Amino acid sequence: MSAIPLSPRWSARFGRQPMLLTGLAILGAFVAMALLAPLIAPYDPIYQDAAVKLQPPSLAHPFGTDNFGRDVLSRVIWGARIDLQIAVIGVIFPFLIGTAIGTMAGFFGGWVDALFMRIIDVVLAFPFLVLMLSIIAILGPGLGSFYIAMALVGWVSYARLIRAQILVLKTQDFAVAAASLGFSRLRIMFRHLLPNALAGSLVFVMSDAVLVLLNGAAISYLGLGVQPPVAEWGVMVAEAQGFITQAWWITLFPGLAIVTLAFGFSLTGDALADLLGVHE
Amino acid sequence: MMKNLTRAAILGLAMTTGLVSIAEAQGVLTIGRREDSSTFDPIATAQNIDFWVFSNVFDVLVRVDNAGQKLLPGLAESWDVSDDALTYTFHLRDAKFSDGTPVTSEDVAYSLTRIRDSELSLWSDSYKIIKDMQTPDAATLVVTLDGPSAPFLSTLAMPGASIISKAAMESMGEEAFAEKPVGSGAFTVDEWRRGDRVILKKNPNYWDAANVSLDGVEWISMPDDNTRMLAVQAGELDAAIYVPFSRVAELKQDANLTVVVDPSTREDHLLMNQEHAPLDNVKVREAIDYAIDKAAIVDTVTFGIGEVANSYIPKGALYHSDDNGARGFDPEKAKALLAEAAAGEISLDYVVNAGNEVDEQIAILLQQQLGNVGITLNLQKMDPSQTWDMLINGEYDLSVMYWTNDILDPDQKTTFVLGHDVNMNYMTRYQNDEVKQLVADARLEMDPAKREAMYAQIQKLAKADVHWIDLYYSPYISVTRKGVENFGQNPLGRFFLEETKKTY
Repeated sequence: MSAIPLSPRWSARFGRQPMLLTGLAILGAFVAMALLAPLIAPYDPIYQDAAVKLQPPSLAHPFGTDNFGRDVLSRVIWGARIDLQIAVIGVIFPFLIGTAIGTMAGFFGGWVDALFMRIIDVVLAFPFLVLMLSIIAILGPGLGSFYIAMALVGWVSYARLIRAQILVLKTQDFAVAAASLGFSRLRIMFRHLLPNALAGSLVFVMSDAVLVLLNGAAISYLGLGVQPPVAEWGVMVAEAQGFITQAWWITLFPGLAIVTLAFGFSLTGDALADLLGVHE
Repeated sequence: MMKNLTRAAILGLAMTTGLVSIAEAQGVLTIGRREDSSTFDPIATAQNIDFWVFSNVFDVLVRVDNAGQKLLPGLAESWDVSDDALTYTFHLRDAKFSDGTPVTSEDVAYSLTRIRDSELSLWSDSYKIIKDMQTPDAATLVVTLDGPSAPFLSTLAMPGASIISKAAMESMGEEAFAEKPVGSGAFTVDEWRRGDRVILKKNPNYWDAANVSLDGVEWISMPDDNTRMLAVQAGELDAAIYVPFSRVAELKQDANLTVVVDPSTREDHLLMNQEHAPLDNVKVREAIDYAIDKAAIVDTVTFGIGEVANSYIPKGALYHSDDNGARGFDPEKAKALLAEAAAGEISLDYVVNAGNEVDEQIAILLQQQLGNVGITLNLQKMDPSQTWDMLINGEYDLSVMYWTNDILDPDQKTTFVLGHDVNMNYMTRYQNDEVKQLVADARLEMDPAKREAMYAQIQKLAKADVHWIDLYYSPYISVTRKGVENFGQNPLGRFFLEETKKTY
């Protein structure tokens, strides 16, 4: 258990972290791809050209074309925008909500803790995907519903993580000292305890991003997420399923993109865990 | 070790003398399909998946021939119609149910009364025309109608009107019967493993059993299209139905397989909710029709296997008319019509069945084609269980649906689509009293030439109103191993398995 070790040694260790560098390089590449999509995509991702449908990879279409004659490379590039957005928004809200609730539950204890823990038990009682699907079914398909469902379901892991840390930290000397100095509860909670409790959550954010990304792809695959003709990797895989035996390139490339981005998040997460001394 | 040697020796002997036990399995045809059956009560379903198995387990009074052109004797060997077309006398053949009891006129009257009166029946409206049934002897049934009805004989060929054993139904009860029915078809239900397969075995009591070659049939459900096709390619299945359009060319290349393409009555069309502005304006509907490039849909979605549709009555079906003023592809005209209609910005909600490859492809094509004339489509992918309710409740602007005919006569589909009955003209909310009257009149007209003219007129009027947009006709596509002969369906979907042979 330690505070975030921002010691001089930290930067030295950073440079010797090939895992972290690779992970960040992958994430950086995808972010750049998403930002520069209009500049680097060779074609309009939704333009249909019947004359070139189901073309295998070639110089003109490096990733081939799909059954509508759309360029797969351009669709994969534009898809990065949607899928990164899914990974980021899908993690941020659960993280914020979960952290706030977990901190309060751990710090105050008593009935506040009991109340939040019972709510968490209820949420955890349902299989994750089933709960997600039912919330989206009620709200109607679309990315907005997906984010809301993620926020409603995903916060419990963060809350439990933070609560456990706060429970340990609040009995430690520095916390007791802060209290005896007469600092306000809010100050103790957010200035003294929380920064020391966050390391585990930050690592979890990375591995959670992988799950959220795959969930987003799964939800779109089931037709409840991104609506056509927007290019999203999960949708692309789903749409091309029927062509897998004669046009493998339509499913392969978006599939690879999902795997690579997920890999980038995992590497970064693992490296951060080592760096911050968090053991999952 | 000793044991294994003995077994090998016995097997070797058996093989050389041709006494292997697989000989029994040789006559069993395994067919892969997307879903499992839902019931074996003929009146309680409207799904093709059930109907297509009924045709082999039950028999009907009159059958439709394999070409889907005319009616043939089924359980009724012959029939007479009175001059006023109100009384039909059926002479039953000497047939037995699978439990060995004879098929009598009483069983027939019981079955038809059930489809007309039972609360379970989804088809009672079509049989309300039957006023009375008399059974002067065990082989004769006299049916009296309320009024003349041109489609009446055709409706008797529908699998829902299958003849069941009255004694069996009464002793077993409806629920048990729906699991293990007693019919008089070429095959009988041996075992039904719900969600997995229906196992049929040859019915030795079938009246034409001598001409049935197969010992049994297994309908196996394999929802994933790719898995099902691979199973036939690997020889795990003898046949599979619902071959996706995208796979046909590839399967045709396989020397071990035969791709069976049978003409069907399937028609895919675009529904427009005419209660929602601006779709209540015929000019807007016409513009949409002009803006859609149906040939591109046939090309992209059906890989050229389908055919552009011009009428709601499928090509090759009774009273189909080409002379109905079908519109070509003309985006300029569409734009002009939209300008004339002065509807302003048009943005429509398009409900798509999620997970349906064909539906999703059509949606993406239409989105681009209508976008070209300035109409925005918001696609809403929904679970198929939800989309049906949305269509019924009118919570949609556009949606693609399909229809396959259940009977030979065009009256059934016409009534559903244009007859202004309870389903709001197949959820389109289309209104035209002249068409409504013509549909009712055509049902009563017994002169085929006059009837044909009436149906031609109906098709013309409905097309002028753009009651919906006809997209394409497509065949039934199945694939079998080489050596399966006479496998296929008639245009109404009936598999003639009693004629199918397996030669390996």
